[in-house]
Amino acid sequence: MKKLAFAIALAFAAGGAMAQDKTIKISGFGAKTGPVRMFGVNSEAALLAAAEVINKAGGVKLADGSKAKMVVDFYDDRCNAEEGISVIRRIAGGDALVAIGPTCSNVAEPLFGILQKKAGDASDSGLQFPVFTDVAIKVGLAKISEWAFRNVPNEITMYSSVFYWLHTTRPELKTVYGGVEEDFAHSRASWHIVMKDRATANNFNVVGESKWLLADTNFATQVREMKKANADIIAISAHPFSLCGALKEMARQGVKPKVLVGLTSSSSLETLQGCAKQAQGIIIPTSFAPVTKDGKFAAQSTAKFKGAADLHSMAAWENMFILKDVMEAAKITGKDVQGDRRRIRDGLAMLKTTQGLMGVTKRTDDREADKPYLFVQAKGNEWVVLHNPL
Amino acid sequence: MLDFLQAASDGVLFGATYALIGIGFTLVFGVMHKINMAYAAASIGGAYAGLLVLKVMAAAPPALVFLGAFAAGGLLGWMVYLTCFHFIPLSSPLATLMSTVGMLLLIDEVIVHFTEGMPQNYPAMFDDVMLRAGEFTLRGDLLLVFGVAVVCMAALMLLLYRTRLGLATRAVSQQPVAARLCGIRLEQVNATTFVVTGLLGGIAGALIGASVGTLSPLLTTPLTVKGLIVTVIGGLGSIPGAIVAGLLVGGFENVFQLYRGVTERDLYVMLLLFVFLVFRPGGIFAAKSGGD
Repeated sequence: MKKLAFAIALAFAAGGAMAQDKTIKISGFGAKTGPVRMFGVNSEAALLAAAEVINKAGGVKLADGSKAKMVVDFYDDRCNAEEGISVIRRIAGGDALVAIGPTCSNVAEPLFGILQKKAGDASDSGLQFPVFTDVAIKVGLAKISEWAFRNVPNEITMYSSVFYWLHTTRPELKTVYGGVEEDFAHSRASWHIVMKDRATANNFNVVGESKWLLADTNFATQVREMKKANADIIAISAHPFSLCGALKEMARQGVKPKVLVGLTSSSSLETLQGCAKQAQGIIIPTSFAPVTKDGKFAAQSTAKFKGAADLHSMAAWENMFILKDVMEAAKITGKDVQGDRRRIRDGLAMLKTTQGLMGVTKRTDDREADKPYLFVQAKGNEWVVLHNPL
Repeated sequence: MLDFLQAASDGVLFGATYALIGIGFTLVFGVMHKINMAYAAASIGGAYAGLLVLKVMAAAPPALVFLGAFAAGGLLGWMVYLTCFHFIPLSSPLATLMSTVGMLLLIDEVIVHFTEGMPQNYPAMFDDVMLRAGEFTLRGDLLLVFGVAVVCMAALMLLLYRTRLGLATRAVSQQPVAARLCGIRLEQVNATTFVVTGLLGGIAGALIGASVGTLSPLLTTPLTVKGLIVTVIGGLGSIPGAIVAGLLVGGFENVFQLYRGVTERDLYVMLLLFVFLVFRPGGIFAAKSGGD
């Protein structure tokens, strides 16, 4: 009798061990070399932290009722389009079911272009592989392919809200002047397509714009143009390095607008590291701040993996939990890689809402997100919440 | 007219940093007839290393940071010499060229890994000083950059033309075989040249960091390109040429930006380079020579 009990226990233990061995691979990719390395480091940390939390809770439930652990690996695309395409081909050639990335919009745009345009179109030989973007934020990219999904904030909504709020709370403000980093896909699009248009739509008069490049070192001419325009609001669509260069030149030339508005990606540690003093008071809309219980937990978990929590890395965190739910709802098998990829794609396409760290995110028909957001402001050496418009 | 004068003067003052980078390129080329592509990256690396002073002493004055950058630049210069020139056959020009390109990327990536690519606030002197004459202004910190650059250039000229080391350097540059026969140790002169250009580079990197107010690995490639343009326009191996070309490129760049915008600015700077390559291939101070 004892022998029988021992054999049964052994059989259960073996079964348990087999369940432990089942894994679902998710590949992250983004920039881990070059000047935007921080984005890749943070995304990877958030992915690993989320996988640990999911796995501790049992993992992902498969179609046969068994559980599988989430395994994350991460590839470096160096924020380079060719490298990004090569990376996604390598990931799709392996057993990963879905990829989360990339960091840069100039990678995302061509990369989405090599995916199958319309899912199930036999005449299209594009890659049939779901990509769920966490960082690349340039407006309207997911419509390129039905295999592309994004969980990035909607800048049109956010800047509409910023300019609406400024118009209603500060009616004395009439004019806006733009500063734009002209050679970076995201910042360029954010000024020309989003900020300028949204400012005009909210009854502001856009009186001009100054342009500079990502690696520029001298902003004297551009800031003189700003000074001449003497606008009430200066909206700067630039990443931290050139934002800091421009802000320092503004301080030198004594350009003090009544309100300073920044690019959503600049509400990061980088800006405070580079020019906290000059950035004081800048208002930036963002889809993440550690103000909710879940947000604080996600930030702490990510910090254990040496990553910082910001609007981008926390989108990577959210993506992991969204994917877990989608995989379970779509009843993936864990055995049929291509079939599971299709199930995940279809599952993502069916989503109408998802649960994010700041609240409920609406999903749009073109596979983009409409995330909750708030306005933060640089104060001292940190970003503080200025206003919650929702 | 005021806009033109303002843009030109801002550009010329900032061009002093291009001149310092150009001198580094041209000095190595003059002595060894090799291009050190890692020079601008090592200069920025030196400037980053200068920030370590602030880690040790948070309230250190900017001058001490500059001094740290100066010393680190020299050390980096010597390391570049050892890794890219000393152990690589000098008879193979492509080998040393490619090794310095590799070194450029390596230094870049080391900076990125140490700082996670984050821009670093860089201390500046006189950044709150602005000289005014009506609407016309001159930045105090850029005047300092210009002044330090002039002092560095003068010190370099003194070193080259008033010291035994300078004599040996010029001898190696003109007749390496004869210099060796006279008992001059070529390797030592070459290594010293790299240390001296490295020291200069460290100061250049720190001045650039101070004038921008922020350091980023993004700076290395554009500075390498600007340094090479300055070297070609000034004439390979000509120190006075590099100085004048640096100021010229800085001034032209800003004026082009004023009239044609930032997206066309570099296009005209490149056109300027081609004009020199066609009409004065030997650089500003070379005798006029014909083309093909």
